[in-house]
Amino acid sequence: MSLVVSTEKLTKSYGSRTVVQDLDLRIPEGCVYGFLGPNGSGKSTTMKMLLSLIRPSNGQVQIMGRPMNRSTRRELLGKIGSLIESPPGYGHLTGRENMRITQRLLGLNDQQIDFAVRTVRMQNQMDKKVREFSLGMKQRLGIAMALARQPRLLILDEPTNGLDPAGIEEIRDLLRRLAEGGITVMVSSHLLGEIDKTATMLGILSQGQMIFQGTRDQLFSAATPDVLIDCTHPSRAQQLFARHHQTTLENSTLRLPGADDRTTAGVVAALVSEGIGVYGVRRDEQTLEQIFMSLTAGGGL
Amino acid sequence: MNGTAVRNEFAKMRHLHLGLLIALLGVIMLGIGLFSSLGSPDFDRATQDSWNTLIGGTASGITLAAPLLLAAIASRQVDIEHQGNGWLMSATSGITPGGLCRAKFLALGLLVAGATVVTSGLLAGAGLLLGITAPFPAGRWIGFTAALLAVNLVLIALHTLIAARVENQLVGIGIGLLGTILALFGTAVPAWISHLTPWGYYALATASGYVDGVLVAVTPAYLSIAALCVIAGVAFLLLTRQFDRKEA
Repeated sequence: MSLVVSTEKLTKSYGSRTVVQDLDLRIPEGCVYGFLGPNGSGKSTTMKMLLSLIRPSNGQVQIMGRPMNRSTRRELLGKIGSLIESPPGYGHLTGRENMRITQRLLGLNDQQIDFAVRTVRMQNQMDKKVREFSLGMKQRLGIAMALARQPRLLILDEPTNGLDPAGIEEIRDLLRRLAEGGITVMVSSHLLGEIDKTATMLGILSQGQMIFQGTRDQLFSAATPDVLIDCTHPSRAQQLFARHHQTTLENSTLRLPGADDRTTAGVVAALVSEGIGVYGVRRDEQTLEQIFMSLTAGGGL
Repeated sequence: MNGTAVRNEFAKMRHLHLGLLIALLGVIMLGIGLFSSLGSPDFDRATQDSWNTLIGGTASGITLAAPLLLAAIASRQVDIEHQGNGWLMSATSGITPGGLCRAKFLALGLLVAGATVVTSGLLAGAGLLLGITAPFPAGRWIGFTAALLAVNLVLIALHTLIAARVENQLVGIGIGLLGTILALFGTAVPAWISHLTPWGYYALATASGYVDGVLVAVTPAYLSIAALCVIAGVAFLLLTRQFDRKEA
């Protein structure tokens, strides 16, 4: 699988304060990469380094197999659409006039602009001044500006920030459609729930360091959900394992945290050998939100 | 920075009422130039005094109006980038913040240059229409216009930088207001004091003045104004290049 973005030990420091540390990003082509982390974890700084808007203190960025630096920056930026911080748009101009500025800046044709505007479903709003747009419309116009160059990579920094549930769903739907169209999308958020249904790959950042990178399934397995055991004598069972495991009793169900499959099998065998009947063994169903919270230790979300 | 960026600056001027502000600059120049000439006891259609009073009046008009209006014009054109996240949008499209400032200067400079030259031409035409029979001092008039234009461009560059660097646009407008005072005092203080601030150069640009109570033709301080242009040009390039290196 080819990588659209890869970084090696990417680091950014301001004086003695390290904002991003030894980041090894791997974004495969055609995926929606959910870049998650609490506020202040270094997501925006990382995205700006990918776009060469700020210089890394250490490490390297490769975009589409080429190093991103001063000499390649302009050419590579032509293939990357982005929406960083607040949505762009000149409030005193109409949506159409804003798109024309983008068109002129990037040397695009009318078809490219029409395609971008239709993709974000803004074709009926383009004669309004941007200052009259809702936040959701501004976000969509910003995405249209980013899409107009028909990028291979789209980098969106918290595009759902401040949107109502309907607006969030619209952006999710848009991201899905873009990915289906072959665009690699990197989207950041501090709320897992906003992108976990859309992202096919997840990267979780905490205090400038990557604490997880992989698929949703890998994230589930990395988190090892608790084992729940239903048995005939739960109190006795708890006493039996009190020395070796931090078991708890919840409504006659024994909860065994951090047990892998081999440990679980051993526990069940031990219970049976002690004459305790086991009639239910299962993993606790964790939401991604719970896993995310436990990985980031609630880090200021 | 390229021609496309400059064309985009003109596109961004829509609905900003910059044309109105530039027209106001021209009207004030024209109005004060004509009013002060016609009301002056020195306005004698048959002698060079008529042209001298017209030049003096024009210089007064621009001294009064330009510092504040140029600050407002630059501020409006730059503030849209702060308000619309335009710096980042341009940077991700390959136009650096310094490049954007240079494009803004070129676009605004072209407008201000046009307004200065057209107003100057209208004043000369008005003088002829008013029946001035003394020979038109073409060389001095062109030199005076060029000197005014140079000072105007220096101020546009200065205010473009201030508006880009300081997000609160009241700061730039306040400096423009202070500039008006300094420009007005520039005509009453010794020439060396006028050299100390860019606004003082309006006094050095004039092509007529009173010497011992008599209105006479004077030569604008071309050398000083040329030096100002060189210093301002180098400073503008250096500072905008520094903007290019500034991280987003």
